[in-house]
Amino acid sequence: MSTKKTTFLLLASVLFIAPALILVLQSLSKTWRFQAGEGFTFSLNSYQTLLSDPNLWTATFWSFTVGSGVLIVNLIIGILTGKALAILSFKGKSWVEVLLLTPILIPVLATAMGLHLFMIRAGLADTAAGVMLIHLVPTIPYSIKIFHNSYNQMGRLMLEQPAILGASPVRQLFTVELPLMKPAVRSVTFLTIVISLSQYAITAIIGGGRIITLPMVFYPFLDTANASIMAAFSVWFAALPLLMYVMVELLMRFLPYSQTLRRNRT
Amino acid sequence: MKKILITTTILAIIILTACGNNESQQPSFNETTEKDWSEITTAAEDTTVRIFMWGGDEGINQYMDDWVAPKLKEQYNVTLERVPMNTGEILQKLQTEKQASKDEGTIDIIWINGENFKNAKNNGLLAGSFVDTLPNFNEFYQTDDPAFETDFGTPVEGMEAPWGKVQFVFLYDSAKIDTPPASIVELQEWASNNPGKFTYPNADDFSGNAFLRHILYAKADSPADIYEQPLDKERISETAGEVWNYLNQIEPDLWRSGEHYPNSLTELDRLYSQGEVWMTMGYNEARAESLIDEGVFPETTRSFVMEPGSIGNTHFLSIPFNSSNPEGALTAINFMLSPEAQLAKLKPDYWGENSPISIEKLPDDMKNKFQSVERGNSVLSQQKLEESFLPESEAEYVEWMKEQWFDEIAQK
Amino acid sequence: MKSLKNRTSLLLLPSMLFLLLPLYGMVAAIHQSFSVNNQWTLQNYIQLLESERFVASTIFSLKTSLAATLISLVIGLLLTRYFYTFLERNTPRLMVWLPMLFPHFVWGYMVILVLSETGVVSQMLQAAGWISSSSEFPVWTRDSQGIGIIITYVWKEVPFVILMLLPVYSSIKSEYHDLVKTLGGNRWHRFKTVEWPHILPVFIETFLIVFSFTLAAYEVPALLGTTFPEMLSVLSYDWFYGSSWDDRPLAFAAMVLLSLGVILLTAAAYLFLNKKRWKAMRGRST
Repeated sequence: MSTKKTTFLLLASVLFIAPALILVLQSLSKTWRFQAGEGFTFSLNSYQTLLSDPNLWTATFWSFTVGSGVLIVNLIIGILTGKALAILSFKGKSWVEVLLLTPILIPVLATAMGLHLFMIRAGLADTAAGVMLIHLVPTIPYSIKIFHNSYNQMGRLMLEQPAILGASPVRQLFTVELPLMKPAVRSVTFLTIVISLSQYAITAIIGGGRIITLPMVFYPFLDTANASIMAAFSVWFAALPLLMYVMVELLMRFLPYSQTLRRNRT
Repeated sequence: MKKILITTTILAIIILTACGNNESQQPSFNETTEKDWSEITTAAEDTTVRIFMWGGDEGINQYMDDWVAPKLKEQYNVTLERVPMNTGEILQKLQTEKQASKDEGTIDIIWINGENFKNAKNNGLLAGSFVDTLPNFNEFYQTDDPAFETDFGTPVEGMEAPWGKVQFVFLYDSAKIDTPPASIVELQEWASNNPGKFTYPNADDFSGNAFLRHILYAKADSPADIYEQPLDKERISETAGEVWNYLNQIEPDLWRSGEHYPNSLTELDRLYSQGEVWMTMGYNEARAESLIDEGVFPETTRSFVMEPGSIGNTHFLSIPFNSSNPEGALTAINFMLSPEAQLAKLKPDYWGENSPISIEKLPDDMKNKFQSVERGNSVLSQQKLEESFLPESEAEYVEWMKEQWFDEIAQK
Repeated sequence: MKSLKNRTSLLLLPSMLFLLLPLYGMVAAIHQSFSVNNQWTLQNYIQLLESERFVASTIFSLKTSLAATLISLVIGLLLTRYFYTFLERNTPRLMVWLPMLFPHFVWGYMVILVLSETGVVSQMLQAAGWISSSSEFPVWTRDSQGIGIIITYVWKEVPFVILMLLPVYSSIKSEYHDLVKTLGGNRWHRFKTVEWPHILPVFIETFLIVFSFTLAAYEVPALLGTTFPEMLSVLSYDWFYGSSWDDRPLAFAAMVLLSLGVILLTAAAYLFLNKKRWKAMRGRST
């Protein structure tokens, strides 16, 4: 068991931790030229640049707000649809499933213009609501998928039993389903926030400059040859979803049975 | 299930029909520009102006955020918000808004030139002629300068105001190269003596394409054959042949033997920054200064131009058709054209970019200030730059060079 | 039970409403792809299919995406299979998910920072004297084989594959394994008879998601690809945002074709899966 653990830690460090660490180090140093004997020179310049950008805090705020909104809608639609798909069996269900997956199958570049037209006609262009709505497109299919799988594993019996015992659907959701679906909630939280946070083109177009999110500040810096600034932005960028993830994790503690469940597992 | 589908469809129809266009009647842009200037600035007071511009240069961003915005607030009580966005996306946004007849846009000023201007103008995305309204333009600029009358061959017709002027230069590391090549023939020799130390961005890139046009200018009998003539493929086929010939000959000596051309100027800059190649290039004769300052480029970086000269162009500020604050936009543009704003832009502290302003039209003390700006070691003298200045060709050349380059060089 | 079912189908209403959004976008794209100067025409498609550049980039895109997707799935599956007991815990799981925190273009950028000829690895090797110059380092980024694109995608998608597969693995009851073990099955048998049927649906869905994403996303190939051959997404982007707007309908046509292909593939996969599910259910009831 312990060799397995070592292997895991080794693999995870090399594959997943190291790259993130490299970005952190680069953000704290001037551009590297090891071969020229210029190695790590500690410098906070990149963070100074980052913090001096007047858009940074507004952008962080909007990214957080939009991300939270998108997450909530995702949880609601994901749970409703996931449950329906798990319970119902009807002719053409495959097609409905395909349909529900299509938003992430078709390229954003193709639909962005039409979506913008839609938003203008619906009076939602240049508003936060419009941006949240547009972020649903690349996220909802994942959430539905994840909750659908989760409900499937729970099994139909688990879903019917509380109803037979007379629990209201909402009560059933909070006392039975959600506590059992914590892993799914985690996955959805993580994915949704990360995806919402990294949308550049559609946010820029629908947000219209009123709603400035982090990628809008960050993306233009792809054009800079200054590696430290790039890295500093990346680190800032990654911190936000991590923070939001931890918040959701804490919120989930308020679900019933959380304590017992944890005790059972260990 | 059927019920659901039917309900959805009905709701869809309701949503899409209910939100038709509620067109609001705005006063036309012409009426605004015909007003007295004092009326315009008064109307602009206490408003917000949004400028949408490419945001990939920290120096430029800081100039806007730390210098222009506070001064504009102080002097005109106008709040300036800078929104970073690529010009292609800005125009896409405007075009969709045009299609949907959205009259109240969020963009008040755009930073534009060349093909983007051409596309914007031809698709009716701009508000109209306004430069004559600007007091600073009339007072301090050579209003009939050809550089302000056409932009990459497209007649400007007063629809954009000159904001800056840049010239294409090559950058090299003087620690590694004593005398940089003075012509493209010497460049070829230099490359064969130093294989792998030179390359240029691919033709899709704005700067890479400009490099190609330099070769085209050099291979033509006279550069004027290109920049004074509209694109005629027949007429220049021979010159073009020589261009591709030259580029194919030089290819084996390029970085990675020309198997890959940098996708962008940024990529080339990074290679230069790493010492992988010894030259880079780009518009804005002073662009190396801030990069040296940040420690990205070596301090020994200097610039040079080659025979027959170096291409320069002007970039502009314009107002989109659906700006909801044209008075504010005019006030802000007028301010950005003012001598003090141009002087701050010229100083290497923020941006270090040249000004399209006419120095001889300035009051004496301003003139002195302009002339005494120390632009930095990596910048060529004003005289050298002016001597080698070549105007930009028409926009069609850019697209044509791009396609040809892809067929003649990349795909081989 | 009928009323419960009716009530349940109401749960689908929000997602059906939501679907209007992408559908509207898609219809607009299709409309654009069939129009030149507001005239209905097939010209864009004809021009597209006659374009060598389009055909070449389609083939290159399919190859690259397929490789990236399959490699990600295999690595992700192996990691999940061997380590799912750890991954159920918070810290290890977050460790694995770490790359997902960064947007794709940041990850692409990181790959350049690390693996390009002048990257950290190459610099280290030079500093250590293992190679004498950066030209000895293999060309892994911006190469004509798509290696850089594949590396970036694999690195970034493996955590996603784990995210998708982990819940399934966690839910496989250990009794199944024990049963196979008792019957004398080896590891391979256990995988084939117990795990594979469980994970197949999710596996296929993950394949579809990753495949369509890598096929259509622009940022990574723009950063890590080379001029020729180019990915379809880069070509479309070029047509879309390029200097002349005349090529825009071509971009729409290219993306409509791509979408159509992916949707058909998905439909085929779901029909196959459902058939299997029905079979399995019938098998159980008799």
